[in-house]
Amino acid sequence: MSDTGLVLKDVYRIFPGDVTAVSDVNLEIANGEYVVFLGPSGCGKTTTLRIIAGHDEPSSGTVTIDGELMNGVSPAKRPITTVFQHYALFPHKSVLNNVAFGLKMQGVDKAERETQAKAAIELVGLTKFMDRKPRELSGGQQQRVALARVLVTRPKAILLDEPLGGLDRLLQMKMRVELRALQRELGITFIHVTHNQEEALSMADRIVVMGDAIVQQVGTPEHLARHPRNEFVASFMGDNNVFHGTVSGSNGGNVIIDTDYGKVEVEGSAASGSTASMAIRAAAVKISTDAAPATNGVRVRLDFAEYLGDSVKLHMDLDGKPFIAKVPEDRYAEVRALEGKDVTATWAAEDGHLLEQ
Amino acid sequence: MSSNDNHHAMDEARAEVASAEALESPEVVKAATVAATTGPRRSPLVTLAWITPGTIWLLLFLIAPLVMILLVSVWNRTPTGFDAFAFSVDSYGRLFQTSVFATTLRDTIFRAILVTLLCVLIGYPIAYYLARCVKAVKFQIALFIVVLAPFWVAYIVRIVAWNPVLGRQGVINYFLVEIVGIVDEPIDALYFSSLAVTIVLIQVYVLFMVTPIFFQLATLDNASIEAARDLGATPAKTFREVVFPLSLPGVLIGCIFVFVLVMGEFTTVRLIGGGTIQSVGTLVYDYYKLPDLPAAAAGATILVAVMTVGVAVLLRFSKIREVV
Amino acid sequence: MTIIWYLVALAIIAIPFAAMVFLPINKSKPILLVFFLLFIVFMYGPMLTMGVLSLQGTTGSMTLPAKELFSFHWYSELQSTSSVMVSVRQGISKSLWLSLIVAVITAILSLTLGMAFRRAFRGSGILFYAILLSLMTPGLLLSLGLSFLLYYAGIAKGEGTVGYLPIIGVQAVWALPFGFLVMMSVFNRYDARAEEAARDLGASSVRTFREVTLPLIWTGVFGAGLFGFTLALNEFERTFLVSGSIITLPLQLYIITSSSVLRPYVYSLGVVTILISFLLIALFLVVSAVTGRKTTRAIEDDDGGSMNTSAMQAAPSGD
Repeated sequence: MSDTGLVLKDVYRIFPGDVTAVSDVNLEIANGEYVVFLGPSGCGKTTTLRIIAGHDEPSSGTVTIDGELMNGVSPAKRPITTVFQHYALFPHKSVLNNVAFGLKMQGVDKAERETQAKAAIELVGLTKFMDRKPRELSGGQQQRVALARVLVTRPKAILLDEPLGGLDRLLQMKMRVELRALQRELGITFIHVTHNQEEALSMADRIVVMGDAIVQQVGTPEHLARHPRNEFVASFMGDNNVFHGTVSGSNGGNVIIDTDYGKVEVEGSAASGSTASMAIRAAAVKISTDAAPATNGVRVRLDFAEYLGDSVKLHMDLDGKPFIAKVPEDRYAEVRALEGKDVTATWAAEDGHLLEQ
Repeated sequence: MSSNDNHHAMDEARAEVASAEALESPEVVKAATVAATTGPRRSPLVTLAWITPGTIWLLLFLIAPLVMILLVSVWNRTPTGFDAFAFSVDSYGRLFQTSVFATTLRDTIFRAILVTLLCVLIGYPIAYYLARCVKAVKFQIALFIVVLAPFWVAYIVRIVAWNPVLGRQGVINYFLVEIVGIVDEPIDALYFSSLAVTIVLIQVYVLFMVTPIFFQLATLDNASIEAARDLGATPAKTFREVVFPLSLPGVLIGCIFVFVLVMGEFTTVRLIGGGTIQSVGTLVYDYYKLPDLPAAAAGATILVAVMTVGVAVLLRFSKIREVV
Repeated sequence: MTIIWYLVALAIIAIPFAAMVFLPINKSKPILLVFFLLFIVFMYGPMLTMGVLSLQGTTGSMTLPAKELFSFHWYSELQSTSSVMVSVRQGISKSLWLSLIVAVITAILSLTLGMAFRRAFRGSGILFYAILLSLMTPGLLLSLGLSFLLYYAGIAKGEGTVGYLPIIGVQAVWALPFGFLVMMSVFNRYDARAEEAARDLGASSVRTFREVTLPLIWTGVFGAGLFGFTLALNEFERTFLVSGSIITLPLQLYIITSSSVLRPYVYSLGVVTILISFLLIALFLVVSAVTGRKTTRAIEDDDGGSMNTSAMQAAPSGD
């Protein structure tokens, strides 16, 4: 176990009434890392965050920061601060007093804490609004006050609970860049919780996918996108097609799976006769009007071509089950003409991905 | 990425954010909130129709009586009542002929302040317990109803109920003398006394303090408290810096209620004070019975004036708090 | 010496407040719980004592210790033919009738004002404060002012000609802010789109009110009326100087308690009024529970939905 950074070991949280919110979480987060906890609501990601912050205690397991045990330490004494979901700014205090609050609690004298608070406010570009009350600010501005308020206390890590949830899409895109740049500039660990896959992929050094109270997979955005470990991750990350079937044999390093829609071949190994499933990313699927090959290809009806700006997402129908593919934007006219027609979807064996059962 | 690049990216992002946020400036947000209503559009005539019955009722049975008090206080006294529109300020002179009214006014103000403070001291922890210590919402509502139920009992009955509790042979004395035995003689201060009146006033009016504080605390954002703890505040500091300032509107409303209602008290003082304790209210009633209606009106006017000053002071006090 | 006792008492009363300020919530909780229980005793103790004393036998006294428990003697006394009891019973029936009228008026006034406040209008601020002013006007002063008005109008000069209007007037004014706040909270949760839809579909505004608005808010109106009934039934100070020869139940109680010789029937009468009040609260709670069920159910469904999201997400989506 590493003695720098944040370490969660065998963390469980069971609420009264035997509701398991978090189960068997083991994580090591290095200092200066940008980690995103991703999962649907109710998956335990916010509970994990609250356990790290000290607003909740694990039922069992330990939390350590730089080797120091944090269990039982009050949130006030942890070198970690949270940017709350709806910012939780103090409505009765001005921006300056909100930001200076943490220093005031540390007993820093008034002149010094105002200097530091002003510097933090400048860092987030709100100098003009220093004397306003939070309700006189827009959502994006409040978000930045919340950031300045935690930055000024120089924590070892900052926890962000759905920090972009309250913002409209345009502003979200801007804040992603801003947050990421700020984190690199400061070199502080950021732990960010979201249910938005796109947000996670665009910001994280590493993503922790949570579902059903457990950690489903940990990895870089690219790794998760290409190699989802199991069906939960594959379907939650989106843009994956999943096939279920029975292993019928192998071919070199590949395993052959018999599915309801034909044979598929995918890298990996599995005992013959066992059930297996595999995922294929939408972007790896090729669309043509040729006849379907014996393996790794299906006939589908193209229902709708959705123009996304940089690509085109194809919504197709595989015997009543949805099937998706993504093609470059310059093929829009071509695929549009195929709407309502049957086409062939194929993919290479190495793009497919065997899922854990 | 070098740190220079970072700065550049930050600045660029900021500039773009600024332009995006022009759209959601606070003014726009505010305007939208004010315009948002729960009702469909309607003509001014319809509005007039809706407000008419209530307005007439309030004018007739609330505003007119209050205006009447002010008027009668400056009208001439007649043997049975007053002479309308015959102005004189003698009534105020009659009030201050002896020192009784002035002394009673002073005592009433003192009692109102004391009861208000005690109601804060007692009511705040009760509201706090209900709002922040009781977790299950159903249980919280049930307890709140239990606390609030006495408000619905005729308050004259609540006062009568103190009869067997206070007094020489009351429950408290019985308890102190017979069971605990810490005093040999029953405490006389428990009946027809200022102490007894204060105790009953607290019981009768404390719910006016508990209710607004409860609602303020119950709607308080838990995240604000967690944020304060997170930023290193001790429980005491969290209370002083966050919880108390945010509950202040509720405390203020409670204080205004209790202060005003105790200032205007009549029944409790009459029945528990038994004639030995006076309030401006009982004096006003005595003048009314005399009958010296203009003097009663003058006393009532002074009472309203003092209440208004008291409320103004309370509001002023809260403004100062907000600035600090 | 007494001042020291008072300071000691003050210090004791301040303990829970201090605990709340200086201790973390898990440590202050037990102290606050004890204080809360003491508070309940403080609020209910006198009424409970009164209840016990009302159950004494014929020799029962006004103070402890209670004699000849438990008998309903002082309750049956309420049905005797003595002049006091006859007027008490008249008071009760008068009060019930009056309260019913006040309830209807409070419901109507709260409904109309509630409707008015659904959209901003000029002078709405002043009207709002006027409604709340009634909460803060000491009862005696309101009574006094109205009695002046009646005197000025020449009505009060002959006893018995006052009529019921002034009583109904002040009692409804007292109940109005409560009923109004009930309606405000109803309209706060109310979705106006149903009305807009009705208007879109061609309903006139009167028809929309009758067919859409009223059915959706009638429980709120009923609640406002119930507030009116309870508050009117228990009202004393506002009625005090304007009642003329009409003796309501609280007035009767005041007259009895002000007289020198008290018998325990005062307690049984008190208990009866308490029971009526609590019955009305229960009725109010049942009605609001029935109203609330619909909304609550929707919310619970929502919760269930979010609880199940993870399960739904995890369910195979690609087959």
